Amino acid sequence: MKKDLISIDDLGLEQILDYLDLAARVEALPAEKKAGLLPGKILATLFFEPSTRTRLSFESAMCRLGGRVIGFSEAANSSTAKGESFSDTIRTVEQYADVIAVRHPKEGTARLAAEIAGIPILNAGDGANQHPTQTLLDLYTLRKFFGRVDGLKIALVGDLKYSRTIHSLCRALLAFDGVAMTLISPESLRLPGYLTKAAAGTTATFRESESLVDALRDSDVVYMTRIQKERFPDLVEYEKVKDCYRLEAKMLAGAPARLKVLHPLPRVNEISPDVDATPHAGYFEQARNGVIMRQALILDLLDARP
Amino acid sequence: MTPQNILLIPKIERGFVIDHIVAGLGIPVMALIGRRPELGDAVVTLGLNYKSTRMGRKDMIKLQADALPERLLQMLALVSPGVTIKRIANFEVVEKVVIQVPELFDNLARCINPNCITNGEPHVATRFKRLESGSKHFKCGHCERVCSLAELAGHLKA
Ligand SMILES: [Zn+2]
Repeated sequence: MKKDLISIDDLGLEQILDYLDLAARVEALPAEKKAGLLPGKILATLFFEPSTRTRLSFESAMCRLGGRVIGFSEAANSSTAKGESFSDTIRTVEQYADVIAVRHPKEGTARLAAEIAGIPILNAGDGANQHPTQTLLDLYTLRKFFGRVDGLKIALVGDLKYSRTIHSLCRALLAFDGVAMTLISPESLRLPGYLTKAAAGTTATFRESESLVDALRDSDVVYMTRIQKERFPDLVEYEKVKDCYRLEAKMLAGAPARLKVLHPLPRVNEISPDVDATPHAGYFEQARNGVIMRQALILDLLDARP
Repeated sequence: MTPQNILLIPKIERGFVIDHIVAGLGIPVMALIGRRPELGDAVVTLGLNYKSTRMGRKDMIKLQADALPERLLQMLALVSPGVTIKRIANFEVVEKVVIQVPELFDNLARCINPNCITNGEPHVATRFKRLESGSKHFKCGHCERVCSLAELAGHLKA
């Protein structure tokens, strides 16, 4: 049976750990070896909404495995603009490729693509629902920095209400042992209650904190997200809170040496550029890990594990 | 049986009684029956607000038909779970089934999430899986949105 990666909720802890191990094996391979793993294979990147970073990461992953890439990055340029249904696009493109990465503004599209297509589907983001490769690369990044995910103290900062990245990461972290999450967000952008409730019966804990600086002193990881102006009905409110959730190098003075700052990128104002030069900046390495994790996933889905 | 009962909803010789409908759901259940072309010729009587020792008040429907369409039974499980279906032959109840909430609703309702792809491509068959046994909440098999039974009942497909 063909494999897909649609939702982090489809993966048990065992399978997540297996992907993390596979990514580590892929990373350890010499570049020449990697470049010979998928000769003649084609990845189609179907991006019905633009997400340059994610698309380039998938494409880099495939190219460095010796495969090729076709695709489009905006529905406006594709046949969808001429009225073709999503289902028809998938049925057509599966004739052209060996694996498809799909991103779409509507929820449920990747699942539908997986039902329709006879080739593996990778969900590169379906509306507000899932972005499983991001979650896996985040977990891989945590394990690379700390050697483990269990027991980490992670501060989640910014828009915790709408951030798909945060929701998905939280849910995945609940499967690990004793992860302590500190939530730092404006009143109106708090983590949804269903997620904090989901911690009941697990070894994970949640606590809320007012102060980013306090959280920095007592965390292994600070995961920053962007606070979007559009989320605030009242711009006065936005102006009041925006700087409370901005990280600058001087705030890191009292932080433990092990502290790493992560961000799904692109960042806007929430991490000052002066953080980049500190040993705490982890977000560019996180982006690099994204390519490695996507390589691992493509190899797994194409039954070409090294 | 009181004379009032006889007057309002007579016994039927042959057919089905949908009993123990929560008071107020009789009319939505009638609407389901009205949507089934297979039942176009059936004589149907609707009784509302009967006293019930178990339920306080209840609604009841009698149909003079040879069979109940499968899709009607599935929709009953969505709109009015817990109802009892009694099959009647020679004025007697010969079979009794309580309609339970199933683990899966297969293409019975549209997703409540307007941004779900199944609403963008209506030919796609929907499915909603029960979160856990005993739960009244279901997860869309596509967009993963969790919906209550009542929300799904408000989004029935044809
Ligand atoms: Zn849905």
